[in-house]
Amino acid sequence: MHRLLLLAVLFLCLPDAWAAPPADKPFAEEKVVLQISDEASGKQTLVLNVASNLLKHYGPDRVAVEIVAFGPGLRLLLAENANAGRLRALADAGVGFSACQNTVAAFTQQLGHPPALNPLAQPVPAGVVRILELKNSGYTLIKP
Amino acid sequence: MRTTNIMLGGLLLLLGAPAQGANWLMLQGTEPADAADRAYVWGFIQVDYQKDYSDPNSAGAYVPPKLLGPNLTTQEGFNVSRARLGVRGAGFPLDNKVNYFLLTEFGNNGITAADGPRITDASITLNHLPGARLRAGLFKTPGPEEALQAIHVFDYVNFSTVTNQLMLERVPNARYTSNVPEVTLPVSSDSGLNQFDRSVAAFRDVGLQVFDTFNLGDWEHTYAIMVGNGNGLNFSDNDSQKDVYAYLSTAKVYGSSGPMRNDLKLFVWQHRGRRLLDNTDDAVYNPRYFDREREGLGFKYRRDAFRLSAEYMRGKGMIFVGPDKPTFDQNGAQPAADGADGEASGWYVEGGWRMPGSNWELDLRHDVYHRLEDDPGPPAGPNAGRSFESVWTTWTAGAQYYFNRKTRFTFNYAFRSVESPDWPDDVGPNDNMNGIDDVAALQLTHIF
Repeated sequence: MHRLLLLAVLFLCLPDAWAAPPADKPFAEEKVVLQISDEASGKQTLVLNVASNLLKHYGPDRVAVEIVAFGPGLRLLLAENANAGRLRALADAGVGFSACQNTVAAFTQQLGHPPALNPLAQPVPAGVVRILELKNSGYTLIKP
Repeated sequence: MRTTNIMLGGLLLLLGAPAQGANWLMLQGTEPADAADRAYVWGFIQVDYQKDYSDPNSAGAYVPPKLLGPNLTTQEGFNVSRARLGVRGAGFPLDNKVNYFLLTEFGNNGITAADGPRITDASITLNHLPGARLRAGLFKTPGPEEALQAIHVFDYVNFSTVTNQLMLERVPNARYTSNVPEVTLPVSSDSGLNQFDRSVAAFRDVGLQVFDTFNLGDWEHTYAIMVGNGNGLNFSDNDSQKDVYAYLSTAKVYGSSGPMRNDLKLFVWQHRGRRLLDNTDDAVYNPRYFDREREGLGFKYRRDAFRLSAEYMRGKGMIFVGPDKPTFDQNGAQPAADGADGEASGWYVEGGWRMPGSNWELDLRHDVYHRLEDDPGPPAGPNAGRSFESVWTTWTAGAQYYFNRKTRFTFNYAFRSVESPDWPDDVGPNDNMNGIDDVAALQLTHIF
């Protein structure tokens, strides 16, 4: 049992482990990573709209979508963000959300405490690294 | 105060989970959490052409209700009635629970006529306390819908009479101002009829407001309590008195968001304050305090192509009855009623219908205003006991054409009828009121 647990942890630590298509998207024909790194509030709406449109066009089972937030764009994944309802709906359709820990560290420095993240946000060491990993595994990068 | 207590008591029953709602208090006083710009620049321009068809009095002269404001020099013309530029946003990332709202006015209207361009809104909102947001600075007071709503989405060119005369406060001059007689046209320059040395209050005040919105299922409940200077757009106070504003609303939300949200909103509000006024023509500065009380209730229903709303308002003290100060009646040659201690009430009902498959909207409004209600009239003389109460009745037919969501053309035709029922035709106040006639208005609005 402990060995299995250890293997699982090791697997999760492999660089390409997260880059593989999500397990619940075995029939995904397209894989898209959406980058949000801007402060402008309109970008939040735009990124979420693009994700919705991709799901609508291909169908939730036929497309894998992950939104990677870093820099000022991390605001999208803060716990009290006004778009939290839309994030939940997209997550229910299989969209993933990655939160850059470098940015979280920068926010922590400015705020004096760690920012409260949306529970849907999956922490990643660096947003740009996460994007490169996804690109290397066949994802198409779109920066709305 | 008793009504305020009842409103607060009702509020306690409505407390629920805090939520981001879409209503005027929230739209103007808050920003979407973590989704607002640091500095969002916006504004709008309104250009209008109006023609007043009123006739002069028996002496061939005109009074302000027959002339176009704020300059009161003509019955016909173009005007850049509003040109506002503002910026709003929220702190990021230092503290996203703080947001601000700044708006300036460069158009020609009651705000700018006295002092030129000026700041109409400058406020900071602290969203740290659940259920008790704090907004401080200069901003719209919680009150009647027609006043509280954003003017650039207002469906008519001019306010209803009750809102214009009862709620749009003309801040009194510091010292007694002599009556200005009516004018004959054409006027060579500024007629001087608009003798105010400060801008209208523009439904705003400087102070501190506690407010928030709570959602219970499809219902959204909002409250606001504000304490202000009671000195309009002026940044500082002119006396030691403070105004208190209370507001309570509940809305059944059908969907969408923003100013055009589909909902049924019921609301009630109350204002209490005092004003310092020198209304004695004795060349001595001897002002005294007068109560200024206002209260009202109403509803607004909007669902897709249909809109229907109505409001009732009443007031006591500081009733505006003339062009240059609250105690001047329309005809300086006649015995003048004093609005400083007067009473008034009024209401309107209006509706709109967006024509399916087109960019046109049709609007219709009916409003009635009873000015100087229960006025006892002169105590002696030939007109003893004749009330100076006047009744203002207006039907406004309107049409709007939307070039796009932010650019529209508004056409209004107002059928106006005014009389002082206690006086014979063409006698006393009716010498001026009988000639008050229709107004046609065209307005182009663009929001950017």
